[in-house]
Amino acid sequence: MFSNLDFDVIWRSLPYLFFEGMRFTLLLTALATAGGIVLGTLIAMMRLSSVPILPWLAVGYSNIMRSLPLVLVIFLFYFLIPYVGQWAIGASRPIAVGAFNSVLVTFTLFEAAYFSEIMRAGIQSIPRGQVAAGSALGLTYWQSMHYVILPQAFRNMLPVLLTQTIVLFQDTSLVYVLSITDFLGAASKVAQRDGRLVELYLFTAAVYFVISLGLSQLTKRLEALTAIIR
Amino acid sequence: MKEAIIDIKSISKAYGATQVLKSCSTRVAKGEVVIVCGPSGSGKSTLVKCVNALEPFQSGDIVLDGVSLTDPKTNLPMLRARVGMVFQSFELFPHLRVLDNLCLAQEKVLGRTRSEAEVKGFKLLDRVGLAEHAQKHPGQLSGGQQQRVAIARALAMDPIIMLFDEPTSALDPEMVNEVLDVMVALAKDGMTMMVVTHEMGFAHKVADRVIFMDKGEIVEDATKEEFFGTPRSARAQQFLSKILQY
Repeated sequence: MFSNLDFDVIWRSLPYLFFEGMRFTLLLTALATAGGIVLGTLIAMMRLSSVPILPWLAVGYSNIMRSLPLVLVIFLFYFLIPYVGQWAIGASRPIAVGAFNSVLVTFTLFEAAYFSEIMRAGIQSIPRGQVAAGSALGLTYWQSMHYVILPQAFRNMLPVLLTQTIVLFQDTSLVYVLSITDFLGAASKVAQRDGRLVELYLFTAAVYFVISLGLSQLTKRLEALTAIIR
Repeated sequence: MKEAIIDIKSISKAYGATQVLKSCSTRVAKGEVVIVCGPSGSGKSTLVKCVNALEPFQSGDIVLDGVSLTDPKTNLPMLRARVGMVFQSFELFPHLRVLDNLCLAQEKVLGRTRSEAEVKGFKLLDRVGLAEHAQKHPGQLSGGQQQRVAIARALAMDPIIMLFDEPTSALDPEMVNEVLDVMVALAKDGMTMMVVTHEMGFAHKVADRVIFMDKGEIVEDATKEEFFGTPRSARAQQFLSKILQY
């Protein structure tokens, strides 16, 4: 059955697949994860804030983002961001953002909604007495968050954050809708050029599988390493 | 009476319809040790938490060393930094080593350098007999040891007052004494202390005054001798007879 498959095509296109495609996928995953966690943490803090309106804004944001299909958001932002940029800086015509910047903003904003729910659970997992202890020592709200609450919340939630990152890693393949050369996009291009669809997609699936599985194994290791002794 | 370092002026507090503090007033002089006792739900913990504004109150005022808590110009974090607080559940920061627990606020709030903070931290750990545990995490210590670290952490800020909210209630019986020993030594050194506790032996030993609360009111505010000798209120008599029964 496999006799007429030519796996040599993979070998020949490896540099392109990894240095073009995978480089993009990993860069987007890393930047969107970092940005998403930072933004998500801020949204979680708004959600739990006692300042009026802030919780309402946070809930609204994460509900909207989590109710829309990611592909739709990718399209929407790609066409919308140039106009938002134009409006923001008062330019005379829509600004050129570029596909990479557009998807980076999209993934960061989209993932922030999910990361915010994770960080909210993390912050709420810390006993209220810890906040009181920080306050009693004279720490301000931001100092308490920075040195006492968030480090603990982050460690408690690390496994879930990494699981979400694995999901994000896989979701980055959706950038194909903008004809961007991520790992899957690169494989598609080679596949169609050489007419080797089965070989390339099998190989791509194997690579995604190995990396995702590796990350989830790493998650288990990290969980044990970073656990807080209680 | 000497000049009050804590002046609680008829404070009241309610959670919705439940009145937890009803116009409570008392003064604590510098160097005085005041025990706050009473049945559970009497508002004694709330009263002590109001003193460093951890609990907001709706009316009245508290003046600490001349600084009013209700004055909008008061910098609450800086004021709290000068008031040590020890909690029933220790509330050490579990992700930080013992020494870092003592250094964090010294560095971030008081602006001390790391080495100044460490010197101070080691000195206080030595004072509570735990210097050899400086590099451990709180979870590796017993309850009594954790509470002694918590006292050292509060002392590291050079507080002018120490507040204790049932510091021995969460401890196994055999660990109560090691914590009380530290507190007795502190009282003997002249620290101003407000202590919510049911440890009447401790009260006998170090208290200058005893405040008895019931249903959000200060029912009795008397010297130790008066309180244990002839409590005036029926409620306090009843409470004492129950608590001293065994």
